[in-house]
Amino acid sequence: MFFNSWAFALFLPIVFILYWFVFNKTKTAQNALLIVASYYFYSCWDWRFLFLLVFSTFLDYYTGIRIEKSTSEKSRKFWFWLSISVNLGFLGVFKYYNFFAGSFAEMMSAVGFKSSPFLLNVVLPVGISFYTFHGLSYVIDIYYKRIKAEYNFVDYSLFVSYFPLLVAGPIERATHLLPELKEKRSFNYEQAKAGIYQFIWGLIKKVVIADGCATYANAIFDHHESMNSLSLVLGAVYFAFQIYGDFSGYSDMALGMSKLFGLELLRNFNYPYFSRDIAEFWRRWHISLSSWFRDYLYIPLGGSRGGTWLKVRNTFIIFLVSGFWHGANWTYVLWGGINAVYFLPLLFSSSNRNHMDTAKLGWRWESIRVFGSMLLTFALSCLAWIFFRAPSISDAFGYIERMIVNQKWASQYLENERYNYEFVALVGLFVLVEWYNRTKQEPFSGRYSWLKISLGIITLLALGTYSDYKEFIYFQF
Amino acid sequence: MKKFTTKIITLLGLAVFLAVLLDLAYTTIFVYGFNRTKVDAVFHGKKEQYDVVMLGSSRANNHFVPSLFEEKGLKTFNYGMSGGHLFEADLMLKLMLERKYQIKTVLLEADLNLSNDQRAEGIASKFLPYLHSSKVIQQQFQNEADYNYLYYIPFYRYIEYDAQIGFREVYKKIKEEKTNQFNNQGYYPLGVKPNASMKNNISKLKPLQNHYYESIKRLCNQHNIRLITVMTPMCANTIGMEYFEKVQKLYPEIYNYENAVTDDNYFSSCGHLNDAGAKLFTARILKDFF
Repeated sequence: MFFNSWAFALFLPIVFILYWFVFNKTKTAQNALLIVASYYFYSCWDWRFLFLLVFSTFLDYYTGIRIEKSTSEKSRKFWFWLSISVNLGFLGVFKYYNFFAGSFAEMMSAVGFKSSPFLLNVVLPVGISFYTFHGLSYVIDIYYKRIKAEYNFVDYSLFVSYFPLLVAGPIERATHLLPELKEKRSFNYEQAKAGIYQFIWGLIKKVVIADGCATYANAIFDHHESMNSLSLVLGAVYFAFQIYGDFSGYSDMALGMSKLFGLELLRNFNYPYFSRDIAEFWRRWHISLSSWFRDYLYIPLGGSRGGTWLKVRNTFIIFLVSGFWHGANWTYVLWGGINAVYFLPLLFSSSNRNHMDTAKLGWRWESIRVFGSMLLTFALSCLAWIFFRAPSISDAFGYIERMIVNQKWASQYLENERYNYEFVALVGLFVLVEWYNRTKQEPFSGRYSWLKISLGIITLLALGTYSDYKEFIYFQF
Repeated sequence: MKKFTTKIITLLGLAVFLAVLLDLAYTTIFVYGFNRTKVDAVFHGKKEQYDVVMLGSSRANNHFVPSLFEEKGLKTFNYGMSGGHLFEADLMLKLMLERKYQIKTVLLEADLNLSNDQRAEGIASKFLPYLHSSKVIQQQFQNEADYNYLYYIPFYRYIEYDAQIGFREVYKKIKEEKTNQFNNQGYYPLGVKPNASMKNNISKLKPLQNHYYESIKRLCNQHNIRLITVMTPMCANTIGMEYFEKVQKLYPEIYNYENAVTDDNYFSSCGHLNDAGAKLFTARILKDFF
């Protein structure tokens, strides 16, 4: 059941009505309803993986309490490492086992040993990377005594399995979401209205921008060997907006529907394509994951303390791990590595925290530099996205090589009977809408909201891609 | 909560209102707009007179060459639609008759498409803008499972088939962008594809007592139209050729021309003749029936 499906269009209002009209008496009733709804939602993919989710929930709940109750350091460590190893073990088996087994066999074959690895024939449980990271952060925070263990199983279960963020985040922190879940929520009109607007905006990003761009990006990437330079450049740009529209659209829908239930989730995207350098980009893109790696990997490794080489090492570690988190393929690892390389000049010049505010443009010379730096950052991220999107590293290099060598900058008719440039105007319009609303979470609120929402609905109806359905990209992670 | 309920109801009302407006706008553009497809042309046509009308799937569209008929003085048009099933061929004929077309002969390709009694979504959708403007189109869709959605929910059909009749198509209609559908009197010649696979496996296909073929026969009978139904050539390396014999048993009136062209050099792919093959095949049809 996807957020942009008819089934969900029925599911969400039913849960909303039950939540505010039937189960509204106590916090426990509200949470219990949301757990049932979340488990039903998750079982719509594959009910068998529900056991994995319940087990993972129970494991972290129990080990969290045991860590807190342990009187000896040895015991604390035991429960801590038990939780970490089982969580990462699940992730390793389901997500990475085949990759490591296959890579090992390839490596052996390269040195002359033939082997046929034993591969698992299992489907990756949807959302495993997200709920595992929920659990991990919870247990780590308890171990380092940043938070108290949660003794209410209902509240903790909801923290892990809350349906808007269950399958593709944002990756919530116990310090943020659990306190909200421990209070009875009261209906707030302004919050709910903002939620509806954000949900509609997320839907537009997904159905109009992401799925529209996907139509062109897929046609270009899948036939890159016959594309000209212009098509290949446009292909990378389309993919950049596809993945942005897809994932930030999902996040907006998750945040929006949570507001309907009186809950505020962590913001996951903050107009990343208006970043002036890569460091700013990573403070604005998939914020919940970037900050997770910062807090649970980068800082424990020493962070920015220590010498230059330690900083470089730590930067590479978090970007490579972040790449690998996305999927078991060397293309993701290389994508992470490229971003680490982009980061180095900022690190060496200690300018990685130069742009902490929101970019502004005006009629002054400074704006040319700001605009240029935004374009450069966008171009660099597009180049990296090629590795993210390509099926293999050699395909990615082939794509870039042809983009440089071909040097034909004409319109091209694609395999799907569309011209390569057709979607550029809509992408440009989307960028303008985002630019003028970059201080808000959605563009509908404020003056002329009825006019803006009407235009939004017309856009959704007339320009959405419905017949060629595309799944959310981040569901596979 | 009352305020929010009012807000939601207003938003839903607004969405319905905008859907109605968009539906009206799109439908108006289709009904009064530029012809880009064969369906548009037939919908907008009136009292056209044809000696021969060709119907069927791509194996009609790419196999019957109207210019050879025209050389013999027969006014001909190929209304075959690539990807179409007999549902669409039947509907096309019904639409022609509704538009008072006068047709002497229908040359129908019915072979592999006899194994399918369903509509071809991509092709059938091209009739949907006219759902409220043509009785026969409405009747044809009436038995479809999604008829109520298509007919009663404003703009639903344009959303469901956005790739075929959505914004891009409307925009191209407004721009009056031409298609190649009307070149060569509807015939689409295929070229030689050097690397095309000359293999096919049709062993899983079973010819059906096809509802839409029966309907075409009935219509031709009622309107005194001569119906010539033929099976068209397949490449030699096809597994399951007995399918054509099964069709012959089921419908003895269908002429089996599967073997009319056998040399793979005349094929663009296993199921489709190239231009030279199509001309050879059409010449044979002409010789045998006209």
